[in-house]
Amino acid sequence: MRYRYRLATLGLAGVAAWLLPYGLDSYAIHVVDVMLLFAILAVGLGLAMGIAGQINLAQVAFFGVGAYATAILTTRAGLGFWTAAALAMVATAVVGLVVGIPALRMQSHYLGIVTLGLALAFTNWVTNAQIAGGAEGITAIPAPRFPGVDLSSEYLFYYLELILFAAALAFGLFVVHTPLGRRMRAMRDDALAAGAVGAEVPMLRMTAFLVASLYGGVAGVLYAGLIRYVAPDTFSIGNMFLLLAMVIIGGRQNLVGCVVGAVGLVVVRELLIDYPTYAQVAYGSVVVLTVVFAPTGLAGLPSRIRAVLRRRAPVTPALGAFEPYPAATAGVEPSVLTVDGVSKQFRGLRALSNVSLSVAAGEIRGIVGPNGSGKTTLFNIVSGFYRPSVGRVLLDGRVISGARPYRLAQAGIARTFQNLRLFRDLTVADNILVALDRTRTTWTWRYLFWPIGIVRHDRSLRAEADRVLGRFGLADFAGIRPGALSYGIQRRVEVARAMARAPRLLLLDEPAAGLNGEEVRQLGEIVRSIRASGVTVVIIEHNMGLVMSLCDRITVLAGGAVIADGTPAEVVTAPQVIEAYLGDSAMSHDVPITVEVT
Amino acid sequence: MQVTIQTFIGGMSLGAIYALVAMGFSLVYRTMGLVNFAHGNVVMVGAYLASTFFLSTRLPFALAMVVAIGATGVVGVVIERALRPLENKDFDLMLIGTIGFGIVLEALAIIIWGATGHAVPSPVPVPPLDILGVRVRTYDLMVLGIAAAATAALMLFLQRTKRGAAMQAVAMDHEAATAVGIHVGRSNAIAFVIGAALAALAGGLVGPMLYVNPSMGGSLGIKGFAGAVLGGFGSIPGAIIGGLVIGVLDSFAAGHFQGYSELVLFVVFTVIIMIRPTGIFGEKTVNRA
Repeated sequence: MRYRYRLATLGLAGVAAWLLPYGLDSYAIHVVDVMLLFAILAVGLGLAMGIAGQINLAQVAFFGVGAYATAILTTRAGLGFWTAAALAMVATAVVGLVVGIPALRMQSHYLGIVTLGLALAFTNWVTNAQIAGGAEGITAIPAPRFPGVDLSSEYLFYYLELILFAAALAFGLFVVHTPLGRRMRAMRDDALAAGAVGAEVPMLRMTAFLVASLYGGVAGVLYAGLIRYVAPDTFSIGNMFLLLAMVIIGGRQNLVGCVVGAVGLVVVRELLIDYPTYAQVAYGSVVVLTVVFAPTGLAGLPSRIRAVLRRRAPVTPALGAFEPYPAATAGVEPSVLTVDGVSKQFRGLRALSNVSLSVAAGEIRGIVGPNGSGKTTLFNIVSGFYRPSVGRVLLDGRVISGARPYRLAQAGIARTFQNLRLFRDLTVADNILVALDRTRTTWTWRYLFWPIGIVRHDRSLRAEADRVLGRFGLADFAGIRPGALSYGIQRRVEVARAMARAPRLLLLDEPAAGLNGEEVRQLGEIVRSIRASGVTVVIIEHNMGLVMSLCDRITVLAGGAVIADGTPAEVVTAPQVIEAYLGDSAMSHDVPITVEVT
Repeated sequence: MQVTIQTFIGGMSLGAIYALVAMGFSLVYRTMGLVNFAHGNVVMVGAYLASTFFLSTRLPFALAMVVAIGATGVVGVVIERALRPLENKDFDLMLIGTIGFGIVLEALAIIIWGATGHAVPSPVPVPPLDILGVRVRTYDLMVLGIAAAATAALMLFLQRTKRGAAMQAVAMDHEAATAVGIHVGRSNAIAFVIGAALAALAGGLVGPMLYVNPSMGGSLGIKGFAGAVLGGFGSIPGAIIGGLVIGVLDSFAAGHFQGYSELVLFVVFTVIIMIRPTGIFGEKTVNRA
């Protein structure tokens, strides 16, 4: 029913857009043509900034590269419009990838300043270069030719733009709701955790810039064909900030919101055309108000209003029971982990010194030790977040230390985090879906040439996600964001997300922290079932009852070194362990030590 | 050789301006984690206020500067108050919020002072000094002197006063600072006021060197920020060195590449920052899992 309603709205919007030119005079149609260009640019910027979280202040330069390349190739090289347009798209894509390179090394404000600097460099170049016509720009760009349609008419050009705009928006929305967009959103929320579930973060960042530049290129080519004149002013920083205002006011995480923002600001700009500076004061102030009071922009308003209206206490869904994994089937081999003489130095601090341990296939290994003894550092080395200063880590006999986290995730290592790193703006189901997707980033060529394959893949992922959610008793929480859930449930979501990777080695970092007694018992049950399904488990935990009952062997770390290694019964009686936990044994020798093994 | 030295000294005095701008960026960033993209426009406002008081009310240059610094500090307070709800929460949103303020400040400057801008005569009308055949503008030396004095005053404030020490504490850990009774909001406001005052100082000093116009904030702000990042964002000595480096680079690029100087400057900056994202004095950030 809801689907049909949406389809009807879409149809109506299409018909209205198609009939729009009949009611407009020649100036109004020009404004609408420009509006569509801004809308395409805004969707591209929304994808890079709102979806992938890459601060991209060079979008206006991508726009400029597309327009200038078309202008130069048609007027200077005498190419036909469409040939020039195709080459301009290639040029923009190349520029997009070059501008994206800094994103591999820096994020947030650093990326903002670098992209802004590169955008300034572009305007500086076109203002000075002979080939770009200097400050006067390039005039007399030939109108695009299309058999049977006179595209020098702004009315007919509108239809060309409308079709491309609809395609661009549809493609953007398709990306957002399918695996690529999900990964980008995961990367935006938490790049480290995204790497830990196998998302190739560097490739994704480049992809985000590539996509943004393609949108800029399309808009640039259309601009050259529409105005048939390019000058540096159009691609100034002022227009970049206008574009940014559109995306922020409309709602950066929602592409339709970006379009609404673009349409709204172009309309406001036209209404205030005699008072451009007052218009500038107005949209600048609205940007400030938006970030402070409505960070999700106009697009986020409906859901906020709904939340206010629906003040009634929502029905609290219940956590279901865990459904144990089937016992290991032949062919699934749990991994063997070997840590060989690993040391890790942080400037003056030696966090780990010469740590060696080996975990047998199918074992549950506990790692305990006082706070600051290097347990999490060890996990960070095994999962690829840190490189060891000395020594190496082997998985099934292959050296893995030094590899990137996403490579290790793809090799079968999954982990959870001490302080919970769920993707906060993704639903629980999306959190699982990101982890389930085992395709590589290069697989995304299908977005351009084989979208049906994407749809099928997405459908199978969703079916699999339902199974994972059901197994962990999380089915009722599928559509909820993690922030709204209790701590214990968030912990379980994180375990479910790690298991969605179908790993062969699972690293759990203090999974029982903050859980109540019953939840700890359930956790024990879950971990045993995971082991029985053919996964090696390494667990850092302070809850001694859980560690003693669960683990086959325990490694004790203190001050960055292994001080004991053995079965639970051996470890609790080792004098060096007692000393590490209780202080000097000479001071406590008269205290009878009894540790209950449950 | 003489030309090289003259270019170098010109670059140093421009660099001193960038260093003042960079210090404002760094001080605000280290105290409250906010990257103030409107900072360049605050510099522009400072430049306009100082030159307006200097030219139209015929105040002595030094007095005009003091008035401009006070008035610009108020602008800083307004920005800080408006964005306070986002402090220590969302970096990217704060960044965009300050861009919004920059847009507003630029438009307000156009409304108040017009779009064209004006030239400011040098307040020290002495002919250039001739030192061993190298001609040095006296104003350049004055700028270097004032910038050095301002830097020394800031360092003394941060290291020798209780309020300065409190701000250092907020910079290190705002939660722990709250726990020992430091008013974090007030500390942030002071950082912002000092940042704005430094911006006004830079703006007032740069007036006689460049043409004062509403869009001057963009390039000054970006170059100052580049200086701060180059030196190691958040480090005060880093900001000084970074600002001077950018100034000298800018000066040589202008000499060698004429119109293309900005292109060269930003490409060089991007390459340097790619090779060493933490800058010269920056702490290597460790990802915490």
